[in-house]
Amino acid sequence: MKDFLKTYKAIGFIFIGTLTMLMYVNQQVLIYQMGLKVKENHQVYSKLVDHNRILVYNVLNLKSPVSLQTKLLAKKVELDMPHKWQVVKLESSPKKFVYKKAVKKGFFANLFIIGREAEASQNINSLASLSY
Amino acid sequence: MYKLITPRIKKVAYFLVVLFVLLAVRLFFVQLGAAKPLSKLASDQHNMYLCLLPRRGVIYDHRKKELAVSINLNSIFADPLMIEDEESTAEKLAGALDLDKEDILLKFKEDKRFVWLARKVQPETEKAVRGLSIKGVGFIKEPQRVYPGGELASHIIGFVGMDDKGLEGIELQFDKLLKGTVGWRYSIRDAKRREVPGYEYKEIPPADGNDVILTIDSVVQAFAEKELESAFEKYKAKGGIIIVMDPYTGDILALANRPTYDLNNIKGSPVEARRNRAVCDFFEPGSSFKIVTAGAVLEEDVVQLEEEFFCENGEFKWGRHTYHDHRPHGWLAFRDVIKYSSNIGTMKSAMKLGDKRLYRYIKRFGFGMKTGIDLPGEVEGMTRPLKQWSKLSLCSISMGQEIAVTALQLACAISSVANGGYYVRPRIIERIQDKAGQVIEEFKPEQRYRVISEETSKELRAILRGVVEDGTGKLAEVKSYLPAGKTGTAQKIEQNGTYSHKKFTASFIGFLPYDKPRFAIVVIMDEPRPYYYGGTVCAPVFKNVASQLMRYYKIEPL
Repeated sequence: MKDFLKTYKAIGFIFIGTLTMLMYVNQQVLIYQMGLKVKENHQVYSKLVDHNRILVYNVLNLKSPVSLQTKLLAKKVELDMPHKWQVVKLESSPKKFVYKKAVKKGFFANLFIIGREAEASQNINSLASLSY
Repeated sequence: MYKLITPRIKKVAYFLVVLFVLLAVRLFFVQLGAAKPLSKLASDQHNMYLCLLPRRGVIYDHRKKELAVSINLNSIFADPLMIEDEESTAEKLAGALDLDKEDILLKFKEDKRFVWLARKVQPETEKAVRGLSIKGVGFIKEPQRVYPGGELASHIIGFVGMDDKGLEGIELQFDKLLKGTVGWRYSIRDAKRREVPGYEYKEIPPADGNDVILTIDSVVQAFAEKELESAFEKYKAKGGIIIVMDPYTGDILALANRPTYDLNNIKGSPVEARRNRAVCDFFEPGSSFKIVTAGAVLEEDVVQLEEEFFCENGEFKWGRHTYHDHRPHGWLAFRDVIKYSSNIGTMKSAMKLGDKRLYRYIKRFGFGMKTGIDLPGEVEGMTRPLKQWSKLSLCSISMGQEIAVTALQLACAISSVANGGYYVRPRIIERIQDKAGQVIEEFKPEQRYRVISEETSKELRAILRGVVEDGTGKLAEVKSYLPAGKTGTAQKIEQNGTYSHKKFTASFIGFLPYDKPRFAIVVIMDEPRPYYYGGTVCAPVFKNVASQLMRYYKIEPL
């Protein structure tokens, strides 16, 4: 009986040991797989960023005064600062389009006043090109 | 139990014991003697340091328009030992990379595991090579500096080499701040020397380079370059310079040279075209220098504006030398001496001043010393010390001979006249900031000292207005903006030491509006043909640039 228990104990130890080792190996494989995935994602990300930078550069190149000047000169159009007579100054918005402030008439009265509708504003900063 | 241990088992047991003892001894000696080199060998094979390149900082103009940026491009390499069929591979690559097949074959025959095939190739080329799927050909990303403006402000911005190191201009001057700090990643690699992902031990990320913001305005730079280019071509000049400066702050708004070069195609440009003539070249200024003589005599009160000088009808013998005016004049008031650029009248006024005082003013106007601009290769010009002056020096120097100056020094001198009499240090860098926008270094405008009084400056401005209104610089007139300036036409010195009658340096230095100057402009043309007068060649360039400046900055006509 004693020998029988000893054998089971030994087998138990071997089993637990093997299981622990297998778990360790599995964990290492998972780490590797995750690392690989992160690396792949990072590669895709950096490729996209690089591509974006090239596109931004192309836009900058097209926008540069020299490039515009060359293109316009090729079409025999002189790039020149506008003269004063060439500039039309627009008046500020006519008064009839200016919104009037909602008149406050107390708490209860305000509940029934229909004010301005909510306006969506575009945040120019959010559209700014990628920084270098 | 005892019977089980037979002599044979005993022998095997003894043998195993001896074997283990031997192994233990070997292990002991390995551990004791060769542990360090062996563990280093193992570590070298197993571990790797990956160099993480920083991104080079951006160079911006005053309005934060990008003038120099970095992009990543792939470079293509090969491992010659892994190439299976050299002939066909070389043929395929030669077609895709537009290279010579023989050159590629030579690279394959090198006894190396790594050879460059092409550096920093265009994305289309990279795609074509990837499409070939050749074993033994790989790709490495490398930063490439690109310049959206191409030729725009090329002499200011400069360029970098293949290793991303600054070689010219701002790229060279601020290389340390622009390039950033390299980062490292300590990781492990597999048998194929590839990084094992997920096992990065340590990482020091790279610190990207700082951004440099210039005082240059790319729009002003563009039209200054355009005007310079058209004059340079029209007069088939050897060289040309234009500087647009804020006379109060010393800010350089535009600085251009001709010939020029494309920053995106350095190899295709001659070395001669890369020199920043505005700071590296010096020349005899000729009559433009008369502003110094005029400033000095007025400041020292040795000459009055209406004081008359006899201009000897265009020919004046002094010692053994005979001086000439380009047009004969009789009696001229001092203001007209400058207006009509009479050499004889100017030297007579300088005689009243004396050499010591003239020399002092030459120095005060900033000649014979570097301006201190943050551009590489600046020269001092050539101003001989007073001791080395001959008896003729006073006359010659007063009209801009026997002295050599840079275009930038002339810009500073005319700015001193324009701004009420202060010498300003030219400024080309506004600030340096990191990627987060934090200012690392700010370059504030610097007014160094007073050169001439406010009163003298006012008088001189009025005289120079006369030059444009009714003198030698009529072609610089910009209606309603009242510019002022001085023309200059200097004979160049031939190799035998005599003054040339064919080679000239034409110049026009001026500012506008004359009573409240906003801009100082210097235009220099080296050896223009067939016309060579500053008033004919350079004054129209001044006019065109000035009129566009007025419109660009929306300055109301006077």
